[in-house]
Amino acid sequence: MRSDMLTSILTELNGSSADIEASGVISTDGLMMAAVLPASLDEDRVGAMSAAMLSLGDRTAQELARGNLEQVLIKGEAGYVLMTYAGHEAVLTVLAKPNAKLGLIFLDVKRAAASIAEHL
Amino acid sequence: MRSTIRRLFQIEHRIMIENKLRGTTMSMAPDYDKLTVYAKSFSGMTPELEALLIETGKKIKPKLAGITENFYDHLLTIPEASTFLEGRVESLKTTHQRWLEGLFTGPYDRTYTEQMYKVGDVHVKVNLPVEFMAGAMTLINSRLIESVVETFGDDVKRCSQVLVAVNAITGMSLLIMQQSYQEASLAEELEKFLNISGMSRTLFANLASAYKND
Repeated sequence: MRSDMLTSILTELNGSSADIEASGVISTDGLMMAAVLPASLDEDRVGAMSAAMLSLGDRTAQELARGNLEQVLIKGEAGYVLMTYAGHEAVLTVLAKPNAKLGLIFLDVKRAAASIAEHL
Repeated sequence: MRSTIRRLFQIEHRIMIENKLRGTTMSMAPDYDKLTVYAKSFSGMTPELEALLIETGKKIKPKLAGITENFYDHLLTIPEASTFLEGRVESLKTTHQRWLEGLFTGPYDRTYTEQMYKVGDVHVKVNLPVEFMAGAMTLINSRLIESVVETFGDDVKRCSQVLVAVNAITGMSLLIMQQSYQEASLAEELEKFLNISGMSRTLFANLASAYKND
């Protein structure tokens, strides 16, 4: 099943770096398709907020003449939230630790996003 | 930004709740039957008062053209209002007098509610400030009270009943217009936010749903 396949990609992504704490694939309408999240996080909120942020990022990139959006990165005291498109209809969201090696995470997320896009 | 988002969530959620209460969805017209009952419950409109308004109409209707004239003369003295009236007064007078006659014609049913609802909607579309509705209704009420007292003043009991009936129908009309105005304003504000943010309506509804308990 596609859902199992997506979960498998996310599990692999989370396992690729100890810095990645959670990840999810979300429709551009904000509905969760598959997620590997800690129990403390609400799937609906992660889904809707991720899609909303990516939508706003998309619009910001357009308005400020930055070209097509590649990713949205949010840095908080407790870590990072990285959102990127996985194809045209899905969003890949990753939560990472504050001291995460971003270069490696960007690479892994890019690969995972491409793989997700293939399976959708 | 956070407070704006929170407010818009509240708007979305409130629209959802209000529509649910009236048995409608965001994309559908309101349930005019329910809104009619709701407006009547606040204004104190009863079948007896409705009958009294229709009966009274025979004597009041001849005075309504004068009330309309007087009403627009007054509005034109208010600078904030007169800017919305330029070049439109005569056509507005016709519509206004027809509405005034409707106050004393009935029926005060879903069709009447639907018409008043559209009036509120139009007020938003032409960017009339919200206070214009209550302000205008106050002016109209003052003139109607004068007419009622002038017509029925000799019979205190009857005069009092007619005044209650007039107050009920103008109150009912105002409540419906304000409901419509509020919903149209919120919808317009939400539409603007969605256009600016690039969010789809579905995404926003999902976002609002995810935070419905906040």
